[in-house]
Amino acid sequence: MNVLLILPMLIPLLTASLALLAWNHPRLQRGLSVFGAASLLGAAIALLTVVWSDGIQVTQGGNWPAPFGITIISDLFSAIMVGLTGIIGLSVVLYSLVSIDPARESFGFHPLIHVLLMGVCGAFLTGDIFNLYVWFEVLLIASFVLLALGGERAQMEGAIKYVTLNLLSSAIFLAAIGLLYGEAGTLNMADLAIRLGNSDRQGLTTALAMLFLVAFGIKAAIFPLFFWLPASYHTPPVVISTIFAALLTKVGVYSLIRVFTLMFTQDTALTHTLILVIAGFTMVTGVLGAIAQVEFRRLLSFLIVCEIGFLLMGLGIFTPLGLAGSVFFMIHAIISMSALFLLSGLTERICHTFNLKQMGGLYHSYPALAVLFLVPALGLAGLPPMAGFFAKVTLLQAAIEVESYTIVIVALVVSLLVLVAIARVWNEAFWKNPPDDIAGLVGRPGALQVSGARLIPLLLPVVTLASLTLIMGIAAEAILAIAMDAGEQLMNPSGYIQAVLGGQQ
Amino acid sequence: MDTILAFVIGGLYAAGIYLILRRSIVKLIIGLALLGQAANLLIFTAAGLTRAQPPIVAEGSEVPINPSADPLPQALILTAIVISFGVLAFTTVLVKRVYQTVGTDDLDDMKATDR
Amino acid sequence: MELVAAVLAGFVIAPFVPWIRRAGRDYTGWIIALVPLFICVYLATLIGPIADGETRRVSYDWIPSLHINLSFYVDGLSLAFGLLISGIGALIMVYAGGYLKGHHHLGRLYAYLLMFMGSMLGIVLADNIITLFVFWELTSITSYLLIGFNHHEAKARSAALQALVVTVLGGQLMLGGLLILGYVSGSYELTEILTQGDMLREHSLYVPILLLILAGAFTKSAQVPFHFWLPGAMEAPTPVSAYLHSATMVKAGVYVLARFHPALGGTDLWTIILVTAGGLTMIVGAYLAFPQSDLKRVLAYSTVSALGTLVLLIGIGTERAIEGAVVFLLVHSLYKGALFLVAGIIDHGTGTRDINMLGGLRKAMPITAVVAGLAALSMAGLPPMFGFIGKELVYDALVEESGFVPRFVAGITVAANILLLVIAGIVGIGPFFGRNRDTPEHPHEAPPSLLTGPAVLAGLGLAIGLIPTLFIGSLIQPATQAILGDPVAISISLWHGFNPALALSAITVGVGVGIYFGRGRLRPIALQIYDWRWYGPERAFPRIMEGLDSIALTQTRLLQSGFLRYYLLTIIITTVAVVSYPLFGRGELFDRPDFGDVRFYEIGLGVLLLMAAFQAARSNSRLGAIAALGVVGYGVALIYIFYGAPDLAMTQVLVETLMVVLLVLVFYRLPRYVQRSTRGNQVRDAIVALTAGGMMTALILASLSFEDRTTISAYFDENSVPLAHGRNIVNVILVDFRALDTLGEITVLAVAAAGVFALLRLRLAEPQDEEADRGA
Repeated sequence: MNVLLILPMLIPLLTASLALLAWNHPRLQRGLSVFGAASLLGAAIALLTVVWSDGIQVTQGGNWPAPFGITIISDLFSAIMVGLTGIIGLSVVLYSLVSIDPARESFGFHPLIHVLLMGVCGAFLTGDIFNLYVWFEVLLIASFVLLALGGERAQMEGAIKYVTLNLLSSAIFLAAIGLLYGEAGTLNMADLAIRLGNSDRQGLTTALAMLFLVAFGIKAAIFPLFFWLPASYHTPPVVISTIFAALLTKVGVYSLIRVFTLMFTQDTALTHTLILVIAGFTMVTGVLGAIAQVEFRRLLSFLIVCEIGFLLMGLGIFTPLGLAGSVFFMIHAIISMSALFLLSGLTERICHTFNLKQMGGLYHSYPALAVLFLVPALGLAGLPPMAGFFAKVTLLQAAIEVESYTIVIVALVVSLLVLVAIARVWNEAFWKNPPDDIAGLVGRPGALQVSGARLIPLLLPVVTLASLTLIMGIAAEAILAIAMDAGEQLMNPSGYIQAVLGGQQ
Repeated sequence: MDTILAFVIGGLYAAGIYLILRRSIVKLIIGLALLGQAANLLIFTAAGLTRAQPPIVAEGSEVPINPSADPLPQALILTAIVISFGVLAFTTVLVKRVYQTVGTDDLDDMKATDR
Repeated sequence: MELVAAVLAGFVIAPFVPWIRRAGRDYTGWIIALVPLFICVYLATLIGPIADGETRRVSYDWIPSLHINLSFYVDGLSLAFGLLISGIGALIMVYAGGYLKGHHHLGRLYAYLLMFMGSMLGIVLADNIITLFVFWELTSITSYLLIGFNHHEAKARSAALQALVVTVLGGQLMLGGLLILGYVSGSYELTEILTQGDMLREHSLYVPILLLILAGAFTKSAQVPFHFWLPGAMEAPTPVSAYLHSATMVKAGVYVLARFHPALGGTDLWTIILVTAGGLTMIVGAYLAFPQSDLKRVLAYSTVSALGTLVLLIGIGTERAIEGAVVFLLVHSLYKGALFLVAGIIDHGTGTRDINMLGGLRKAMPITAVVAGLAALSMAGLPPMFGFIGKELVYDALVEESGFVPRFVAGITVAANILLLVIAGIVGIGPFFGRNRDTPEHPHEAPPSLLTGPAVLAGLGLAIGLIPTLFIGSLIQPATQAILGDPVAISISLWHGFNPALALSAITVGVGVGIYFGRGRLRPIALQIYDWRWYGPERAFPRIMEGLDSIALTQTRLLQSGFLRYYLLTIIITTVAVVSYPLFGRGELFDRPDFGDVRFYEIGLGVLLLMAAFQAARSNSRLGAIAALGVVGYGVALIYIFYGAPDLAMTQVLVETLMVVLLVLVFYRLPRYVQRSTRGNQVRDAIVALTAGGMMTALILASLSFEDRTTISAYFDENSVPLAHGRNIVNVILVDFRALDTLGEITVLAVAAAGVFALLRLRLAEPQDEEADRGA
């Protein structure tokens, strides 16, 4: 039993349980939460190191052999995702120490965050399709509760749409699993890869692939299934928005990449071309939606949709370089978007609003904040020298290699439009003068409403994440080395299958 | 029988989908519940029905009598039933709270967060 | 190594500007100017070796996986640009210190200028096309931040955005072109790409590559129809305008055209596009400059014209033309930079830039007048200024060919130059002669920090004009050679003898002087035509942006309507579409339906279930619907019993009961059913629902057909007792074989319970003021 593979699920579970037991002791809860998040990050880094040096790690739940027991497996892609979860988890928990209101905190905020993290890590590490469903449900219910926690009107309205669409997605997912078992007789992903490959029922297999595309696509917020995202992400408190933005859709994308590189590769002319087309539409509708927004977090929410388009682009291209691009872009997207969401929390503290029209003067009074915004934002637009640029170039190079020129042009124009959206935020919130009602607020001392040591958990995550976008750009080769290997692994499922099923084929 | 059940499941899906398309949040819940039932039944049917012994090993033997029902889909459905109950219970209370907070049960009036 | 340092120096020093400023106070400008000065001196040491035919190259691996390397390369072309960038940069830093003395954000200005300079050097020294692009985009960003320096003004913000959008649009397209170029050439290093000219010109992707790269070059260098951002950028402080928007950044596009000439140039397409665009820009720019009243706008439009001339010359592509381009590049940078800085001095000294309000300043600002006069002479192309040499070379290049098109091009060039001469007078002579006018401030001469720059630039214009070979000969030749790719012999001097070029110069001067003195009457006419005819790109941009906004808004309203049922409809219809296509379109799908051994009560049960579902859907009462739901649930439990799943049936009954009870409890507080949807909607939804249901049925039937697969359940059957020690195999699966699932399931239940608790107890009426409670 490879403990390292279990830790990312075990640590958050323990933390959540202990935090639950400490229901009436907020200080203890906070300490546990931070300790748990830090441990998770440590375990994730350890896992990544081992996978990087020793290859794919596998273990079986209960030591029941594959394909009968549940496989827990980490290839590079999974390890990277778990690592990112660790980073974001810690960032969010730290930020929440100062920013979450005591009311929410006393109703289980910390345990819920850790259950969410557990579900996310479980999804990344499982090698069994039904187990994936279970972890999805875990993270979903945790997200339902977090979204609705507090019961404000906006949250309620957002929640009803979020819950309904995600429940529909789960129902479709479950049906797809049932049908898959009906066709292939197994639930283990590696085993499925073999059996689906040998199946002579192409029509049904591809139809099931499409069902999975929809089920995961809803969660991943692809076009035309993304409506729940801009309706709900901006309603809860900033920390919750952040963790949603960073991780939830990415689990959907992860699942799409996993099933469409491992299991459903028999009809790529249809499936992956469709994915590429969807990628293009997703990019465009996402960025156009962002341009139409006036509320800071809604603008960012639509930009998430736009990013998903880029992530899918690599999958649609379906070459090692393309998938490496998706992996790299995933890393960049998660980190940049988290930085920006947390930053929106900072600007809200100063200006008391998320409405861009009612903000202003931040460039004049807070140059450091301006830099903290500009670096990840320009990275999001794919401008050098941030990581986003190099991720974009990877995807573009991959597309050119397979002569998909349309998506290249679309991606380039969309990049420009993302820049337009970013420029809008910059113009409104930073450059222009603050409107009269907040003119007295901006620039006054103590605008962040905390001081001294309490500033650290608030600013440290933002500074770290923003710096990472720049550092990862300049040191892009290091990140690319890992991403390229991950891409290779994804394109050659035989390594995965071999690790799970050994010699038995 | 599987064929008939296939149609029954289709009917359940149809009813469920019809309901979730309605404007009332109350009907929404019923629809979601129906969809859950349909999905469970689908797993059961698609795995292959056997009008056979339940998968229980009798005293004194090591293996169940052949043919016995496929135990795996049953376990999956059990898990799914419980999970979907938990989720639906939460959703039901959520619907109630939505009604209390927003003041209406008409989904068409809940557009504020989208605009 | 020094090359890398030269490029990166600006970036490295920029973050330290606040401290430098604290130490240097009002002399900060002079101190910061040392950075570009050192770079300029370093580059100057390379003039000798380059002139002898050497080149310098250095390359460090940066991101080899993407073929991006820190490769830098110095030849004549990059050296010429590099000297301009660093030399003028030093002068600008000093000038900025004086012009914006005491400004709150002066430190940021220095930082941005340093970063800009580094980026510009990066462009001209880069040998890797992606690295080149990295710096290209950095100039767009720094330019944005610099144009918007007076960010309190809405005009400045929108001008900055305009410049950004136009140049980044071109930039992104250029990136596409560069990536394709690299892929096709097999290398991303310029020095290697440039050797493949023949292959590239014949390649099937030549046209897209060319057009994409031209998009970048033309937008950056303000060619028609992308020229309009340049006059708008005059919202920037004058030092910025002088540096970026006349001497350096706008020439980046020209640099790219020149640099890629060996690889992409020489084809008919290249010539046609460049000559047309360049010629058009040249005349349009000159024409639009004429009626302007703001000094800076006059200069901006004349810069547009000059850029057009440069593009035109590169398009023509002969030895003479390229030589002319290189010389004119230097000439223009010197005089235009000087004139912009003079405009700034006038603004600083009198408080206005309106030509109509300026006159007779030579008494109050004598040094400025001399400097302005020299620069103006160079712009007008009169001897003995460097500008004269430049103009002669341009005319030389144009009269080489005969035929209608070359003559026509020569003609419009003369026309443009006539106008430019007039403008030179308007800008450099007009304000200083004539009678005094009323200006907002009493005119006074400028301090040394402001005078140094223009004086040096204008002075160089004179010096080089008098002794060209001493100063420049060793620079022009290698630059021209670099562009052409072939060895070339150059000679320049002030006097070339009586030739057609001289005649053209004479015409230019004659007509020009005439128009200058008649400008009072001519400018209003030109102004009218300007307002009416040139409706085009300048007005188009805001319209396009508005159009973009409205498209965005419309699309968002359409998609993100707020109606949950439309979202659901979209999803369901999409699902049916994408699933049905492969399902029905890929051949053999269904086996003969196997009705097999059906018992009548099973059929009855099936019918009962369908009826209950229908009832749940169509019921008019809440309790009726819940009851129907219960029937469905119990019916399903029966099915489980019939088919060998007793455990399952038990759980189903339990859970169904709980669910019904819960629903009744909750629905008690919820409103009654109301028929809200229209008949049409009901029918539509019913059709969609039935179709989706049908699709599920088809999927199940397909899944059941050809049933001959082995399942993994056999393992569970065989090992439940011996290994797992349990008799109820389903239970054993749940708690042992697949215990991880059950862990998740329990977690879901626990969280759901916590969630219900929180929903019922925690009611925050208004958005929680998060910190208020904290702070207390």
